[in-house]
Amino acid sequence: MGLVGAMKRSSVILCLILFPALFGVSQGQSSFEQRRLRLIDVISGERDKGFFTVTAKFLAGKDKEFALQMLDSLTTDESIGGMFYSYAAIGCYLTLHDQLPDSLNRKIRQAFRDRTMYRGDTENHWVMYYTGIYLAAQTWPNEDRSQWFNGKSSEENFEEAEGWLNQWIKITSTTGQGEFDSPTYFITFITPVLTLYEFAKDPVMKRKAQMMADLIFADFAVEHLKGNYCGGHSRDYPEDIINPLAAPAALWAWLYFGEPKLELWQETRFRPRHRGGWETVIGAISSYRLPDIIFQIATDRSKPYVHTETKRVRNVIRFGLEKNPPVFKYTYMTSHYALGSLQGGILQPIQQHTWDVTYVSDKPNNTIFTLHPFYSGKELAMFFPEEQKFLADEVDRYHKIYTNPNKWNSSSPYEQTFQHRNAIVILYSIGKDAMHPHIDGFFPKNLDERVEDTSGWIFCRAGATYVAFYPLKPYQWIEEDVNWRWRSKELKNGVVVEVGSLDEDGSFEQFKQRITKGKPEFKGFDKKLTVQYETRSGHHMKFTFNGERILNGKQVKLTDYRFFNGPFLQGDRRSGVIKMTYKDKVRALDFNTVSIKE
Amino acid sequence: MMNQAQFTYPPPPNLLPVKEGKNVFRVCPSSQEGRAELFSTEGVVKHAARCVVTSCLALMVGVIFDAHLFAQQETIYMSVLNSRKHRLGALDNPTVGLFVSTDAGLTWRHKGWEYTRAFYTESGPDGTIWSACGNGVHRSTDGGATWRITTGWEITEVLKVKVNPVNPATVYAATGYGIFKTTDSGETWQEKNAGFRKAFTSDVVIDRTNGSLLFAGTEEGIYRSTDGGNRWLPVDAKAKGVRTVVQDPHRTQIFWAGTDDDGVVVSRDAGKTWKSANLGPQHLTVYTIAFDPAVSGVVYAGTHGGGVYRSLNDGRTWKQCTQGLNNMVVHSLLVMPSNPRIILAGTLNGGLYRSTDGGDHWVFNSQEEGQVWGLSVR
Repeated sequence: MGLVGAMKRSSVILCLILFPALFGVSQGQSSFEQRRLRLIDVISGERDKGFFTVTAKFLAGKDKEFALQMLDSLTTDESIGGMFYSYAAIGCYLTLHDQLPDSLNRKIRQAFRDRTMYRGDTENHWVMYYTGIYLAAQTWPNEDRSQWFNGKSSEENFEEAEGWLNQWIKITSTTGQGEFDSPTYFITFITPVLTLYEFAKDPVMKRKAQMMADLIFADFAVEHLKGNYCGGHSRDYPEDIINPLAAPAALWAWLYFGEPKLELWQETRFRPRHRGGWETVIGAISSYRLPDIIFQIATDRSKPYVHTETKRVRNVIRFGLEKNPPVFKYTYMTSHYALGSLQGGILQPIQQHTWDVTYVSDKPNNTIFTLHPFYSGKELAMFFPEEQKFLADEVDRYHKIYTNPNKWNSSSPYEQTFQHRNAIVILYSIGKDAMHPHIDGFFPKNLDERVEDTSGWIFCRAGATYVAFYPLKPYQWIEEDVNWRWRSKELKNGVVVEVGSLDEDGSFEQFKQRITKGKPEFKGFDKKLTVQYETRSGHHMKFTFNGERILNGKQVKLTDYRFFNGPFLQGDRRSGVIKMTYKDKVRALDFNTVSIKE
Repeated sequence: MMNQAQFTYPPPPNLLPVKEGKNVFRVCPSSQEGRAELFSTEGVVKHAARCVVTSCLALMVGVIFDAHLFAQQETIYMSVLNSRKHRLGALDNPTVGLFVSTDAGLTWRHKGWEYTRAFYTESGPDGTIWSACGNGVHRSTDGGATWRITTGWEITEVLKVKVNPVNPATVYAATGYGIFKTTDSGETWQEKNAGFRKAFTSDVVIDRTNGSLLFAGTEEGIYRSTDGGNRWLPVDAKAKGVRTVVQDPHRTQIFWAGTDDDGVVVSRDAGKTWKSANLGPQHLTVYTIAFDPAVSGVVYAGTHGGGVYRSLNDGRTWKQCTQGLNNMVVHSLLVMPSNPRIILAGTLNGGLYRSTDGGDHWVFNSQEEGQVWGLSVR
């Protein structure tokens, strides 16, 4: 392409990026245009070294010289590399190469020859890595093995990346993500997918990327409440678990769903932990537009609803016969709160968040949950190939908290849940040899009320949300920085939780009165590990650890869960078809035919 | 044995320099068994293991009679998976991956990518270097100058790679997802998991006298194949979590295995029957087994928590050899073929240690806080 051609192309891209209103914007989301321009403006003023900041600076025409220096450093500093680098580098190149000096363009190309582009060992690593390789091989075709860091030709790289991306799309659209519903790792999926959508030349891959973006956003939308990614998560960091709006996904919610209304980067109480990465600029500059139906699904909380779905455990390589056992997820969503849970057990190593109630609040730490802080080398060895006696120490080095008895994320074989609407029973049967023989509960200090009732219930109020918490065994309170830690040291243990709200129950007093009319029945629990409970709505729940979940006399089979099932999102496992519905609107993603039907 | 210098042993206590061309050698009394190491000022080591020092005079006058003792060069391949110094996102992370030494482990040079997670590397008889890495099987045909990842996305978490000693185009990879085999030097790979109930495999060994006979160390125990991996059958070893399987260098019928919790097991009939050769009740996690190449029955084991164990009687009794070893998680061991008194011990998070007296004493060598996952030599 000649200089004139390049300039024309560059101008068109800039127009599309900065003034898409000229080319039509989907209805109901005009404020999206304001938010994305605001985000580009904010990010362009940042000094953090990264491809995303460079991109924002160029597009906003701000600090270009500084951006060039930054980019030069990114391409010459050999200590930077790997999967995080590969897709971000090629995305930056494809966005800006017409505006970059040839020397820098050559350096970016050179990075794909000389740099260690390590693939990593998690699902999000591979999505980033293969997106980067796919686009790089597409950009520089017909180059021989000597021109690539991994000794593969352009064609070999393209074929491998395309092959993996296709199988990832297939498994994700039929049996679910392994690193599902993560408020932190959300960014490491949506950003490469949007990059792929933006730059894939193959129309089929481009369409698949669009459908994956739809799926990822829709999957978020059904469990989204005012910026919070609610319920159970495969992986999350403790800072985000105890402060949901601090999670990186919240900034994406702000950009695409318009919630929360706050500019999060200015709110130190909700300061997104990964803000420095500024991956959201990829959303801000992308030509991808969120379908209006997903926007509505994410924001309409006029009616409470139950949503269930199945995901999958990440690859089990040891100590299991099934490579990807299913994860069953249940979420009850209202306008004030969401109560959500996974079935319990080891579904993800290290960072699992099994259940919580997350409520709408203008205060941080708007969540309540419990866990058993489990760790073991064997758990890690299920998923990683290294020595099981070495792994716990190794993981602790990276995640700091893995072996910590006070950690706020954990997958435990000693924890199981049974949820029905706004009630949940969580049971624990902790092994005698467990390293941390206690269960912990997170209660924010900033609750409006926290009352220990003589009935045995602990009642909490946060604005219009009410929580009733019944511990089966003795406990203690430990005061911490932002929370009270509820701790119980009994090995055979459990809690029953009901959640209500102003809309459902009237006043807090009325809620308490309704709740105290009943209480869990757990006679002989240490032997039977069974709890029976009749919710304030009259539903009878009976749950036995390692046994049956019975609702109103009928066994609940988790294996009956569909891929997605709720008022907004439906689909069957392995069908490859996911249908979104909102009022009279329908949008169906058919991954079998790579088509979208509305 | 031509061109061999003859010296008396032991050499004088104050080592005198000996000139040979540009190099100045010093004879080091590293051994009590009539062996010497020659260290040069330019990093060259004469493989003097088998030289007999007969003349102090030669040293004293600074002359080596045609000093090319043994022209063969041993290259050690050290695979460093990671380093405890590594920090996510840090700009000064230590280089990991493959390091090679041609001077019996005194000095090391890095080869290949700087941040690749390398579990194990070995060189075939044709000089091709193969690396088992987290992101596949890497191959270099130019001594490590350039590399190709020979595997695609289907093969990952590769823990060991073993080259057929007779036909170097045939290579096996033991992975978290089972055994994979190439017969065309890595251009194509085939999965070879028929017979495994669970595919997780830590190691594979090829009988050096029969390339079709293989043993695999798996999560569920030792498996044996007599047809080049087409079909695997479990052996009755009463040992699970097998981390390493090796063939005795002196007796081809003998195979040894190290396990997660069952110590060492040994077969003396080509893998048909297996017996425990336990180190004792304390340290039953054995990651690596090595042998004195000169003396049959001298066996070393690297353990989790117990450092290095040595047996002088074919595994009947073992003695802990940890003096100077500051990290007791030993994942790799290498006994130098040319001088079995020199032993390298790779630890997890403690770097590499070196002994010059058969394991009696250890001195930290390199890779501070590194995870030295694999060692091999050719």
